[in-house]
Amino acid sequence: MQGRWRRVVRTPLGLTATVLVVAVVALAVLGPMLWGSGAGAVDTDAILARPSARHWAGTDNLGRDILLRVLVASRLSVLLALLATVISVVAGLLLGSAPFVLGRRTGRLVAAGVNTAVAFPGLLLALFFAVVFGVGATGAVLAIGLAGAPAFARLTQTLVAGVAARDYVAAARAMGIGRFRILVRHVLPNIAEPLVVNATIGAGTALLSFAGLSFLGLGVQSPSYDWGRLLYEGIGTIYVNAPAALAPGAAVLLAGLAFNLFGESVAKGLGVPVAGGLRGMGPVRAGSASGPERTGRGEDAGDRSPEVVLDVRDLEVTISGPSGPVRPVRGVSFDVRRGEAVGIVGESGSGKSMTALAVTRLLADQGRVDASRLEFLGNDLLAPDTTARRRTLGTTLAMVFQDPMTAFNPTRRIGAQLAEVATRHQGMSRREAMARAVDRLTAVRIPDADRRARQYPHEFSGGMRQRAMIGMGLMGAPALIVADEPTTALDVTVQQQVLDLLAEIRDADDVALILISHDVTVVGEVCDRILVMYAGRIVEDLPAADLATAARHPYTRALVDAVPDMNTDLAEPLATIPGRPVDPADVPAGCAYADRCPLADARCAAEDPPLAADPFGPGDPSGVADPSGLGDPAGHDPAGSPRHRVACWHAGEPLPARPEDRNIDDLVESP
Amino acid sequence: MSELRFENVTVRYGRTTAVDEVSLTVPEGAVVGLVGESGSGKSTLARAAVGLAPLTTGRITLGGDPIPARGRPRPLQMVFQDPYSSLDPRMTVGRSVAEAMPPGGSRADRRAEVERLLELVHLNPSCAGAVPSRLSGGQRQRVALARALAARPRVIIADEITSALDVSVQGAVLNLVRELQRELGLAMLFISHDLAVVRYVASQIAVMRHGRLVEQGPTTRVLTEPEHDFTRELLAAVPGRTTRRNRP
Repeated sequence: MQGRWRRVVRTPLGLTATVLVVAVVALAVLGPMLWGSGAGAVDTDAILARPSARHWAGTDNLGRDILLRVLVASRLSVLLALLATVISVVAGLLLGSAPFVLGRRTGRLVAAGVNTAVAFPGLLLALFFAVVFGVGATGAVLAIGLAGAPAFARLTQTLVAGVAARDYVAAARAMGIGRFRILVRHVLPNIAEPLVVNATIGAGTALLSFAGLSFLGLGVQSPSYDWGRLLYEGIGTIYVNAPAALAPGAAVLLAGLAFNLFGESVAKGLGVPVAGGLRGMGPVRAGSASGPERTGRGEDAGDRSPEVVLDVRDLEVTISGPSGPVRPVRGVSFDVRRGEAVGIVGESGSGKSMTALAVTRLLADQGRVDASRLEFLGNDLLAPDTTARRRTLGTTLAMVFQDPMTAFNPTRRIGAQLAEVATRHQGMSRREAMARAVDRLTAVRIPDADRRARQYPHEFSGGMRQRAMIGMGLMGAPALIVADEPTTALDVTVQQQVLDLLAEIRDADDVALILISHDVTVVGEVCDRILVMYAGRIVEDLPAADLATAARHPYTRALVDAVPDMNTDLAEPLATIPGRPVDPADVPAGCAYADRCPLADARCAAEDPPLAADPFGPGDPSGVADPSGLGDPAGHDPAGSPRHRVACWHAGEPLPARPEDRNIDDLVESP
Repeated sequence: MSELRFENVTVRYGRTTAVDEVSLTVPEGAVVGLVGESGSGKSTLARAAVGLAPLTTGRITLGGDPIPARGRPRPLQMVFQDPYSSLDPRMTVGRSVAEAMPPGGSRADRRAEVERLLELVHLNPSCAGAVPSRLSGGQRQRVALARALAARPRVIIADEITSALDVSVQGAVLNLVRELQRELGLAMLFISHDLAVVRYVASQIAVMRHGRLVEQGPTTRVLTEPEHDFTRELLAAVPGRTTRRNRP
């Protein structure tokens, strides 16, 4: 919190605004003390004098120094503006939080009233109230304060509604805590920041409005004076003595700017930090730098089997974090063959989605992608983007996202969105493209596709939308479908349909599939081969059939054991993995899993194990360790069954008996 | 007697009927699993029980008496799905837990009680001074459980409490649920879309579809001899059935 406030002062704008606000407040406090008597001194010898060395801004019709009067007037001007702001904020808070406290029916009435009041221009309200409360400072304060209240009430209402929807408010209500208590204890503290920021900006606005009212003669009355009053008096003599009007005008401008800028910079400082630093940097070939996973296999282009659809070597993704660059993917190498289904599993933050986005070149602006090789169907994806390549990718690579609602444009019909792929990349006419779209929707088993194609995304159910998304990928002739958590947002029964559909497409057209999921069982069911990711690296690459029985990495084994299935022994506690996943911003030197691993020793903490063919893995028919530890280029043994790769110094060693799950979980510090 | 009974409960929002004539009993000390698809009304039923959703008709009783809708203590507590949203980010863990405790008692007593509750859910009592952002998802969910326990409830309603968690910590929370049930004899309505998870913690299963209860019975019976087509459909959709079948 303190750091965030400090960030406000660190920017040039923030610093200027802070200095200005401090200066204005200091002037308001000290001005009348220092120059109070001087400003009131009548000098009949110098009535309406022009600016001179004695009177920098001249004098008024009683010979009083105008500059001193402007300085002294700062107290009344600022004080009245702040008073008005306090009235706005208090009234706004009361009105804005009333719907929450009063319950649904009465609340709706209050909200409707506030919404109506917001529709009136603030100055109009101020004039109205000024007439109601009478001419004078009190009336003006009330007028401006109440005129500002609706906007505040509306803001409060929106913020309160946002927090009220959170589960901790529901939890407090379930505990039987009263609504007013909840408001004070849970809601207001969580909306304080934006309110403070807006109050500051509101103070600037109130200051301006006040000057306006006084200038119109509706505000402060003589003998008191504020900036607006001085402006009013000065404007009459503007052709004789311009500074008499300009000085209070400048004061209003400066003070108003000070409050507004301060509010803005506080808002910016307290908000989300703006990421920067890495934007605009293109992909970089890893060159001679030795990535942690540089296995040397398949370096020559000639070795590659034509069967390989996607070839990834030493992939690294760097994004900018709050404290310097973060590397969520740290040297990932794998390939996907024609028709093969590869699953990528891992916990959140393991880099699995980042890998998918990097591979499909969808990470354009958010991060930097480095690799020694990144090829899709022989196209170098690290080369600069061209129209031709975009066309190739557009027709041969399909991507399916977790939330199909956000992946479709909600304002366009499904059919038109599918057809766009064909008109853009395949040069079809609109009519042909539409026919193709309907055909593809039928292919993903959307009933009555002709009618459905004319519907909007919100008219589709979740599973239907996901199928339409897959249908969109099928508009071309995809060689690879990348599906990132495609079923996480779906119901179990629908999930099964989508998975079956993916499997069917794969069988029919020999399409390769990369399926990313946190769910080991889903991936195990659909895929041929599984890549287990941990802290941005592949820790195990194994045939799906081996997952339940022959996983070698302790993390993979724990992951499989931790998930209950329909055969889990009910008498035993479930396996757990102690600790928490590694923060990508703070990856340890050795094996990233060492902290949570029951087999870890000193070597694990010091040296990161390479991903190498498992010397004793069941995937190796000879049963003899590969002396190079590298395996053959494509990662497949001559017999064609996929080889097992694992990154662990203790691969396959028996795990110690599960400790009794009674240990106290310690707080893990995170930066 | 602290049996939670839903009797012909109906909840309507405008013209949509979220829960339709549901009668369900959570016996004392038992865990009843409630499964169904999203939109089947399981969460609405849960929210109705703790007074967060208004009943249109029917009644919900605890040990024969209606559940108090005002004041404290509340004998029915709820744990929510998303531990990132269910703890006030500005409150320390200790204050969140203490807030749920029945009023009264000295400061030291309350602090000791917070520590006892945190230990009960396998958290270091020193966590009490931490704000939720310093805890992992699994740790937060355990704080949420401790907070629910602090109110000394007779029944806890757990609404998808593991579905927002990573698989590696899901196990720890499930173990804890079973342990609390065994050691404290706590009754629980455990809502989940995951049959494998429900099978692991619940002794009875109730299946909801389109706001209606379609099947209800002991876990083993429902999972081995489902009576309703929809239950069969759910069972068929459990992932991993093909690969795991080969498992020795």
